[in-house]
Amino acid sequence: MSACGGATIRIYILKRILVLVPLLISVTFVSFCLLKTLPGDPVYSMVGERATPEAIESIRKEIGSDRDFMSQYAGYLGLLAGGNFGRSYYSNRDVLDDIAAKLPNTMKLALAAMAIAIPCGLAAGMIMAYRRGSFIERIAGMFTIGGVSLPVFWVGLMAMLVFSLELRLLPPSGTGGFKFIALPALTLAVPAISTLARVAAASIEESMGLQFIRTARAKGLSPLKIAIFHVTKNALIPVVTIIGLEFGSYLSGAVVTETIFGWDGIGRFAMQGIIMRDYPVIMGCIITCTAVFVVMNMLTDIIYHYIDPRIRIHDGKG
Amino acid sequence: MPRLTFALFRLAGLALLFSITSCSPENRTNDYLYCRLNSNPSTLDPALITDVQASVVAAKLFNGLVGLDAGLNVVPDIAERWEISPDGLTYRFRLKRGFLFANGREVTAHDFKYSFERLLATATKSPNNWIFENVEGARAFREGRADEVGGLKALGPYDFEIRIARPFSPFLKMLTMTPAYVVPREAVIAGGPDFASHPMGTGPYILEEWAPNREVVLKRNERYSNPAAHLKGIVFRILPEDLTAFTEFELGNLDIFQIPASAYSKLRNDLRRKQYIEVLPGLNTYYLGLNTSRPPLDNPALRRAIAFAIDRKKILEKFYEGRGRLADGPVPDALRSWHLDKDRGPVEFNPVLARQIVADNGFSGVRLKLYVAADQEAVDIAEIIQGYLADAGLTITIRQLEWSSYKQAINNGEPDMFWLNWWADYPDAENFLFPLFHSANIGPAGNRTRYANKEVDRLIELGQHATDPALRNRAYCEAEEKIIADVPWVFFWHKTDYVVRQPWVEGLKVYEIYNMDKGLDVSLRRRNY
Repeated sequence: MSACGGATIRIYILKRILVLVPLLISVTFVSFCLLKTLPGDPVYSMVGERATPEAIESIRKEIGSDRDFMSQYAGYLGLLAGGNFGRSYYSNRDVLDDIAAKLPNTMKLALAAMAIAIPCGLAAGMIMAYRRGSFIERIAGMFTIGGVSLPVFWVGLMAMLVFSLELRLLPPSGTGGFKFIALPALTLAVPAISTLARVAAASIEESMGLQFIRTARAKGLSPLKIAIFHVTKNALIPVVTIIGLEFGSYLSGAVVTETIFGWDGIGRFAMQGIIMRDYPVIMGCIITCTAVFVVMNMLTDIIYHYIDPRIRIHDGKG
Repeated sequence: MPRLTFALFRLAGLALLFSITSCSPENRTNDYLYCRLNSNPSTLDPALITDVQASVVAAKLFNGLVGLDAGLNVVPDIAERWEISPDGLTYRFRLKRGFLFANGREVTAHDFKYSFERLLATATKSPNNWIFENVEGARAFREGRADEVGGLKALGPYDFEIRIARPFSPFLKMLTMTPAYVVPREAVIAGGPDFASHPMGTGPYILEEWAPNREVVLKRNERYSNPAAHLKGIVFRILPEDLTAFTEFELGNLDIFQIPASAYSKLRNDLRRKQYIEVLPGLNTYYLGLNTSRPPLDNPALRRAIAFAIDRKKILEKFYEGRGRLADGPVPDALRSWHLDKDRGPVEFNPVLARQIVADNGFSGVRLKLYVAADQEAVDIAEIIQGYLADAGLTITIRQLEWSSYKQAINNGEPDMFWLNWWADYPDAENFLFPLFHSANIGPAGNRTRYANKEVDRLIELGQHATDPALRNRAYCEAEEKIIADVPWVFFWHKTDYVVRQPWVEGLKVYEIYNMDKGLDVSLRRRNY
């Protein structure tokens, strides 16, 4: 990449980061509106089963829910400007500290899931494209249909029953190293493998019909070279898009998978916050996940630029 | 290529071997008991605790003046003995000497004064301050008219006195509750808001680590000798999913497991496990609440028809797999010291009579809203009830809401009917009468059927303030019979819980109230795998 290209990318990144600020403010506003308009009052969950009106009022005052919407929202923006997400209504713990502790676990899980999904998905996609009509293509096709159709919770529970309860190979829950991450990562990877395989297969097939491939064949290039350096490289754009989206969604917390396998990540944390109506936790998770998603999309755009020279990241001048 | 394949196989083999060795039950801290919590404890500050999960953990970290024994009798805890004045107004406690906080400081009467005043202080925002609302001077203190609570007195380092404004029979039992535990002032001040997540108490265990949503780890408090715990520690693993927890138990990664409905038949019929199941007849009542405050359910005839229309016994046996005892009234049998006149209320299933009442009173086709929380078991029960009431000529619409919306709706009296349960906080019949049926508690304080009967109010108050146990029982009995006759609830059952332990767990006792287990009975036998 040229020095000019490097500068352009730096400007691009800077711009995307600047755009992130108003985006996050808009997201906080919309989320805040939604949370406040939903039925249910967190105070009733906080006060237990035998609350006096006095206790209810005192807690309302404490968490600020007795104030009007705009003043509550302004208070929250003030908190964010001070660099924190506030404290959980229930545990009184600093939400930012908890998110900082849980985000690395979610990242680990997302990386592990992608480490399984990308090679398996691409391999399956290539088999489906290059061996069309064969027995192995049909097997791969069945697997991918199953993978996209089966709900994650079912796959997770089945994986737990087989690998933990019956075969006793892997622990059913917990957060930690390889043995703990294997099952949730596999569960998360199944739909991603299927989607990747189907997209990769379609994309490769489309590329194979293009004129430059015929030219490459006419030039006498070996089928392997054509497949790897011409067809697959050309077919990568939609694949990278899928990888970016899947990875972004995993980083935003795989709620069901993390809950089933007791993985101490941001998805489970958000889920607990939603169940308890713990607004600071929910808002903290939404903001973090939005930022992560935007960053992932930005990285995907940058990768496009490297894969396909026709896609140019421009600095917006003219 | 074959070499690459061979290397890959070797790598996979090694990974497999690693996973096999690492997921065995031995991969745990020795002499620590592994238990399950369904959800993350909300807080570990006793003044703020309202949930069962937090109470279960806090019981191991803190102590109060008094506790409960297996027979639900009040027994000494930090208080060595106590006296109640003949007028029932003054409670004088003599504290044990040498009872230490985890920081090594001795507990004194001043600590109790501080802890109880902290609970009452508006700044603490405790939802549990009602426990001490009868204490003399509590109101003036809360309203800022006094600097201290006059009714709480440290008479000396080991003598503590509580004066209440009116005789209040359940008061001593209320002192066994989680919010009445003693806390050290210096740790509360130093911790600030973090005291809730880094608590310090006097209990047999000390908090070693709390990883929210993952686990709470307690280690033995070596200073505690009241008596000392057998275990080196307890690990509470937070596992919301029943199947995950069941799998962990089957693998030996949990030592004790409260059996959920989904695993009940499997474990009860498992010959290997059957002998290790402990039965716990809980102090609770499951009920269908009927909103008595507005038409059409303000009419007792319709409420009686609903009670006659539902075959509770069949639902308990067939759907609930017999995991409970049929309820005759709101008060669980273990807390009832009187005999009920059962003929007063509609306790038997009588669909013919139900249909007749509905038809005679012109209720045919009446539409009623039944609210349930987002819980599959509750929804299933609601559908069964819907079927029975349809047979009686009533049209029921079920509305399922998530918990906080559900609480808000039932607190505001939105539904005609709702499915709910009530668990004892302290072992006294009053706990099942006053909050649930006294008209002063309509709404979030417990009386969600908005039931108001002046005679019942009077009888409950009479029982609360009676110093003579016979008079108290008579008042409560009469109140309960009137409640049964008025049918603000359809009384379903008192749920029985089942706890299964691993063969290597010894001395396990199960208790009726969640904070009774201080983790002192259990020990772990050395295991051979």
